[in-house]
Amino acid sequence: MFLELVYDPTTNPLNNNEWSFPLLEIIHIAAFTLSIGTIAIVDFGLLGWGKRDAAKLLKETSTLTLLGLVIMLISGPLIFSSDPNMYLRNSSFRFKMVALLVAIIYNYTIHRKVVLSGATPGVNKAVGIFSLALWVSVVFGGLFIAFV
Amino acid sequence: MSIAHAIQSIGFLTDFRESALVYPVVMSTHLTCIAVFGGMILMTDLRLLGVAMTDRSISEVVSKFRLWKRVGFCIMVTAGLLLASSEAEKYSPNPFFWAKLTFLALIGIHALIFRPLVYNNTAELDKSPAIPSRAKLAGALSLFLWFGVLTFGRLIGYYEGPGSPGNQGAKSAAAIALPASHRASVERYAVR
Repeated sequence: MFLELVYDPTTNPLNNNEWSFPLLEIIHIAAFTLSIGTIAIVDFGLLGWGKRDAAKLLKETSTLTLLGLVIMLISGPLIFSSDPNMYLRNSSFRFKMVALLVAIIYNYTIHRKVVLSGATPGVNKAVGIFSLALWVSVVFGGLFIAFV
Repeated sequence: MSIAHAIQSIGFLTDFRESALVYPVVMSTHLTCIAVFGGMILMTDLRLLGVAMTDRSISEVVSKFRLWKRVGFCIMVTAGLLLASSEAEKYSPNPFFWAKLTFLALIGIHALIFRPLVYNNTAELDKSPAIPSRAKLAGALSLFLWFGVLTFGRLIGYYEGPGSPGNQGAKSAAAIALPASHRASVERYAVR
C-alpha cells in the first residue's frame, strides 16, 4: 500500500552525529518563519490593514518569502532523508505534503493575482484567510508527525 | 523538584498533559505563532537596519505591526506557559529551557532600553538623514535574541536529563533500528 524505500537510514550521515538533525530543524523553523511570516504579512494586508496595501507588502516581502521557501525546501527533504519510510507511513506527514503543495501553488497563482490586481473587499478577505489557513495547516501537519 | 511537581499536578494541567489531542494542538499553536507573527518582528528589525521596506517610514512600519505582534505574543506566551507548567518536572532541570527563558528576559530588557530610544521615538528617527545607530543596534539585537529563543526552544526537546524517560513509549519511533541519537530526534516532540 505504501511506498517502501530500499534504503538503510543508518548509513545517512545525519543519523550518525548528535547535532545535525536538531540543527536542520532549527534552520527549517527559521526558514518557515521567514516564508510563512512574510506571506502572513501580505494576508493581514488583505484582511484590511488601515490602507489597502497588500500589493505593496507583497513586493516588499516576496524576495524574503522565496528565500525562506528555498531554505525550507532544502532542509525539509534532508530531515525527511533521515528516515523516509517512517515519514511516508505517517498520516500527518502525508497531510502536510498535500497542504504544502496546495499552499505553494495557491500562493503563486490565485493569491498573487488577487493581491496584485485587487478584488472586492470580501474576496480579498477570503483569499487572505484561506492563505493563512493553508499555511497554519502545514505547520500543524509538521508538528503532528510526532503525535500520530 | 517538589515545586515543579506541585505545579504540574494542578488538576487541569494534569488533564492537559495527558490529553492526546489538546497537548499537540497547543504545541502547534505555539509554533504557528512563531511562523505567523515572527515575520512581523523580522520585518520591523530589517526596517530598522535599513534592509527592507525602506519605501516606508520607520514610524509606519513600527505602528503597522505593533498591535498584531502583541496579539501574537499573548497567544504564544499563553500556549508556552501551558506547555511548560504542565511538564514542570521535566522542564525545570532542562538547561535549554533556562537558556530560552534567559533570552526572553533579555528581550524584556531590550524593550526597556529601546522602547523609549527607538520604538516609541520613531518620528525622531525618521527625521534623521541616515538611520541612527541606536535603531540599527535595536534591530540587530532583536534578531539575534529572537533567533536564540527559537534555537533554545527547539533544543528543549533534545535534553535527556535524569527526569526524562529516555526513548520509551513514543508513538513515532521508527520500527527500524536507528542510532540512539536519531531515535531521540524522531521522538523530538514526544515529551511525555
